[in-house]
Amino acid sequence: MNVELRGITKRFGSFTAVNNVNLQIRAGEVLGLLGENGAGKSTLMNVLCGLYAATEGQILIDGNPVSFAGPGEAIRAGIGMVHQHFMLIPVFTVAENVVLGVEPTGPLDHLDLVQARAQVREINDAYGLEVDPDALIETLPVGVQQRVEIIKVLFRSADLVIFDEPTAVLTPQEVVEFFAIVRSLRDSGKAIVFITHKLGEIREISDHIAVLRRGEIVGHADHPDAISEADLAELMVGRPVSFDVKRNPNPPGEPLLEVADLTVLNNNDDVAVDDISLMVRSGEIVGIAGVQGNGQSALVEALTGLTRVAGGTVSFKGKDITRASARERHRMGFAHIPEDRQRTGLIPAFSIAENMVLDSYYDDRFSTGPTMRWDVVNKAAAHAVVDFDVRTTSVFDAVSTLSGGNQQKVIVAREMFRDTEFLIASQPTRGLDVGSIEYIHSRIAQARDEGDGVLIVSSELDEILALSDRILVMFKGRIVAEFDGATADKATIGLAMAGRYEGAAA
Amino acid sequence: MSGNKRQTDGMYESLLRRAAPDRTAWEDLVVVPIFAVVVALLLGAVAMLATNVDLATVGRSYVALVSGSVGSFNAISETLTSAIPLTLAGLGIALGFRAGMFNIGAEGQLLIGGMAAVITGFSLPGLPMIVHVPLVLLVGALAGGLYAAIAGWLRAATGAHEVISTIMLNLIAYRLVDYLLRLDFIQREGRSDPISKSVLESAELPRLLTWLDPNLRLHAGVFLMIGAVIFIHWLLFKTRLGFEFRASGENPEAARYAGMRAGLVIVLAMGLAGALAGLAGANQVSGVLGRASPGFSAGIGFDAIAVALLGRSHPWGVLLAGLLFGALEAGGRQMQVDAGVSIDLIGIIQALIIVFIAAPLLVRALFPWGFSKARPSAKE
Amino acid sequence: MFSFRKTLAPTFLAAALIAGSDASAFTACQVTDTGGIDDNSFNQTAWQGVLDAQESLGVEGRFLESQAETDYVANINSLVNGDCDIIITVGFLLGDATKEAAAANPDQAFSIVDYAYDPVIPNILGQVYATDEAAFLAGYVAAGVTKTGVLGTFGGINIPPVTIFMDGFYRGAMYYNAQNGTEVTVLGWNPETREGLFTNNFNSLDDGRAFAQNLYDEGADIVMPVAGPVGLGSASLANELGADKLMLVGVDADLYLTDPNNSHVYLTSVTKRMDATVSEVIARAMNGSFEGGVLVGTLDNGGVDLAPFHDMAERVPAELSTKLAAVRAGIIDGSINVGE
Repeated sequence: MNVELRGITKRFGSFTAVNNVNLQIRAGEVLGLLGENGAGKSTLMNVLCGLYAATEGQILIDGNPVSFAGPGEAIRAGIGMVHQHFMLIPVFTVAENVVLGVEPTGPLDHLDLVQARAQVREINDAYGLEVDPDALIETLPVGVQQRVEIIKVLFRSADLVIFDEPTAVLTPQEVVEFFAIVRSLRDSGKAIVFITHKLGEIREISDHIAVLRRGEIVGHADHPDAISEADLAELMVGRPVSFDVKRNPNPPGEPLLEVADLTVLNNNDDVAVDDISLMVRSGEIVGIAGVQGNGQSALVEALTGLTRVAGGTVSFKGKDITRASARERHRMGFAHIPEDRQRTGLIPAFSIAENMVLDSYYDDRFSTGPTMRWDVVNKAAAHAVVDFDVRTTSVFDAVSTLSGGNQQKVIVAREMFRDTEFLIASQPTRGLDVGSIEYIHSRIAQARDEGDGVLIVSSELDEILALSDRILVMFKGRIVAEFDGATADKATIGLAMAGRYEGAAA
Repeated sequence: MSGNKRQTDGMYESLLRRAAPDRTAWEDLVVVPIFAVVVALLLGAVAMLATNVDLATVGRSYVALVSGSVGSFNAISETLTSAIPLTLAGLGIALGFRAGMFNIGAEGQLLIGGMAAVITGFSLPGLPMIVHVPLVLLVGALAGGLYAAIAGWLRAATGAHEVISTIMLNLIAYRLVDYLLRLDFIQREGRSDPISKSVLESAELPRLLTWLDPNLRLHAGVFLMIGAVIFIHWLLFKTRLGFEFRASGENPEAARYAGMRAGLVIVLAMGLAGALAGLAGANQVSGVLGRASPGFSAGIGFDAIAVALLGRSHPWGVLLAGLLFGALEAGGRQMQVDAGVSIDLIGIIQALIIVFIAAPLLVRALFPWGFSKARPSAKE
Repeated sequence: MFSFRKTLAPTFLAAALIAGSDASAFTACQVTDTGGIDDNSFNQTAWQGVLDAQESLGVEGRFLESQAETDYVANINSLVNGDCDIIITVGFLLGDATKEAAAANPDQAFSIVDYAYDPVIPNILGQVYATDEAAFLAGYVAAGVTKTGVLGTFGGINIPPVTIFMDGFYRGAMYYNAQNGTEVTVLGWNPETREGLFTNNFNSLDDGRAFAQNLYDEGADIVMPVAGPVGLGSASLANELGADKLMLVGVDADLYLTDPNNSHVYLTSVTKRMDATVSEVIARAMNGSFEGGVLVGTLDNGGVDLAPFHDMAERVPAELSTKLAAVRAGIIDGSINVGE
């Protein structure tokens, strides 16, 4: 199926989200659609899959103009979308989720699950998806859940499959597997649209690339090799972007955080962190690489005082802080950028100002006796907003109204807009656009240059490599390898992340 | 350089400017409740017509509803008298909502607080009023607070959900009151039915308007109500504790990550909520009833949930909702007197108002001309 | 409070309309207790008195239902502010509230059903009933009819207007034993210790069913529930079991008539003619002979009575009917003392 978008414009009131976009989507090819958050990618695709009606322009399928009154019509026309946020029912099985809404029924109008299972297996085999039709969704890892979404689309006989930021939720291994699936879909003749803001991925998977900025197509590449990552980034952001974080000119200082034989249990009393020892010096960034779910979260919670440790000690500047609470550590100069900004980092319904003091409101600067000094808080928040480049009109705006990048900057501002000594940053740039990533990386490097010890936990290997002076790899709760940040090699670290590194562990 | 500074100053200033509440928010807060009340009254009229009440009587009953709630000194006095316990208990529930707790137990807390207050009220003769009344109120609040803190503690220590535990505590409170009312030192002399001794005159909240008419029941509890509204507003929005409550309520995980002690917040929030319900109970025995008997809570603790929801868990909203419910109660009585319409109808109208306020989209759909055109979100 | 002006305006208009309507007629107003106006018992019977007076004397009647105890004072107050010539409160539980209102409004005539004040309050006429006289007859006839030799009773709450029924019922059965050498027992009430079975409410039909079931399980085949509408729950149980297994003795009104769905389960009813005393009070207030004090309903003046057996007549042997008539005469002439 070949689809052509001709002069598509979508306005919301006076706001033009998509402006005169022309695109060719061809069977058997992957079109990479690159753009920052807010560039109009999702709006454009929602027009294509019938959620929005275009204000102007035409959609042609195999040369014939079509118009969709709703998503149902687009699906019947063979256009399927895999959304960034999955739409699955956790307590249903894979087969049940797949057939939901288009259930095959027997002669007595009963649900024919036998047939449903068989059809799921068929699709499974055709594209090598390897999903058990009888597994419950809630028991499946995110990567497999995404494949269920793909099966759903294929089950509805889609010839054009749109992926909206599909890799945002995946681990590096899962990304590799996902790309294999995309290729097998393409090779079977499907047309694919791949929406992302990740430069590396778009060049790896796409046959064509289109770059969207502020609702307009600002650049095309007929072949991914025809354009460099730097050029793509510049097209997307609208200015030259630097990915290199400057290395620390100074040698690291005294040991700041020392962890000895740390063991942490998770909620089910399973060992999450297994006898880890590590050390972070002042003026040094230590990166912890690893596939998500190998104990990083438990390690971070233990280091920040949010969870009890089962064994071992944590000391800070020579003082044992194993039993110190999160607040005590915060007072000692700990800063913590949590891994999930929506769930643990921010209170989305609160104002920017309130979020800015979420962990320092009790401080004498911000309160006298029982009462808050909101005037002081608001002024401090305004300064932090300016200093950390949070794009907003007022500090009283709810954080939920900000883009992901600006939300993350609020957290970074809150944690670093004071004298800190030690920063723990967990997935500090997950899901952010290039501009925000660049900015946050520079602030982290700046903290290091000012003498802070920094511990970065990330499943984005590129991020670890870009920032770290030293790299530790975590696998199954243990630290299995240590590398020098300047000389580390991506492939070797990748092996270690998969638990297959034979070198000397730290 | 200085020009540069002036520019950044301007930037701070604009950042510190509050955006005017946008039209949608204003409509949700003001227009929707008004329309909800109107629709509920209309549907109430339909319900009356459906039960063979003639149109003239329907008209008469709504006139009575207004005159019985705000049409005379007595009406206003009755409206306020009914509004006081609803607002106090409603504030407690709103506080719980803010802190992420769904407290169904105001009824039980009110009973326990009222019982403690009644005992204090009759057993300490010789105290001057200026000591005795505050003591009665304090003991009532304390008892209600401690009773509610049980549920809070169960939640914090064991994870037992407060909805279940407060419902159970309500049942315990009912029976506990039945039992207490039969104890010799509480039961009124010469009575074999469960009724407490009367509180001493020194423990009664003074009536405010008896100089106008001895039947006006409005008592000093009205100051308690206004004071409580101001206090809870201050607590929620101006204090560290209130910040912790609101943060824990909005996003408990983020609050924990920010170093707030979740268990303490839960116990304190439940305790305070219970104290307000207990205060409502003390207010009833000291200002209205003068004694305790089975079921003196009269469902106030449950109506208070509706008051808190209607007031959007905002202290001033709770006050307005409490006044509205008080007015419906007082006016409903007049409806019965003047038009002979069943008091049950008032219950129906109250329920309808809540349904419509809880469903602003429904109200918007019913009255499209009353609202600005919905703007589709421009977000991606 | 932006709407203040808007809401007051129609109020004045309304007040003018109401004042202009009918201020001349004599108005009798009634406040029920939490049982409600349609409780098939107590409140309903008293309201019947107002309706009768409406019919015979041409008065206007109004009522106000109480939903909770907190309503009593408020309800009386809202009537005080209306134009009621007499306010009749129904039930012992309104005793305090009525007294308080009477003190605050000395010019308003009040009457209360089931309560009397000592000392007398000049503007309240209490209506009380020697129900034990009629209940004595019920106990007597039930003891003669029972097959199992076990009778049962239970009350709403342990207050005099309730327990007086149970006293009479118990003593009537005991009197039957003494006269006829039988050993009928009565479960659910002990007049010496003043303890017995109580539902502690006047509105749970479920309780009525459960209490009757318990008594039935203990062998009782005739039960007298003294708890207003709670008894309707017992009646539905008796209806399911059949009158051969469980019969009821109604109270307050003749439940054969007021509970037609279950009429076949009532052996008889101990009627408390509140309708009679209420119309009498209204008549007195109209002709100016109203004064504070006590109006007592007895077997003699018809204020209390035993209802006819209706369909159950065949279960009551002629011999028993004769004896019953003698007992009745004895109570009226004072030769039988129902109080011991």
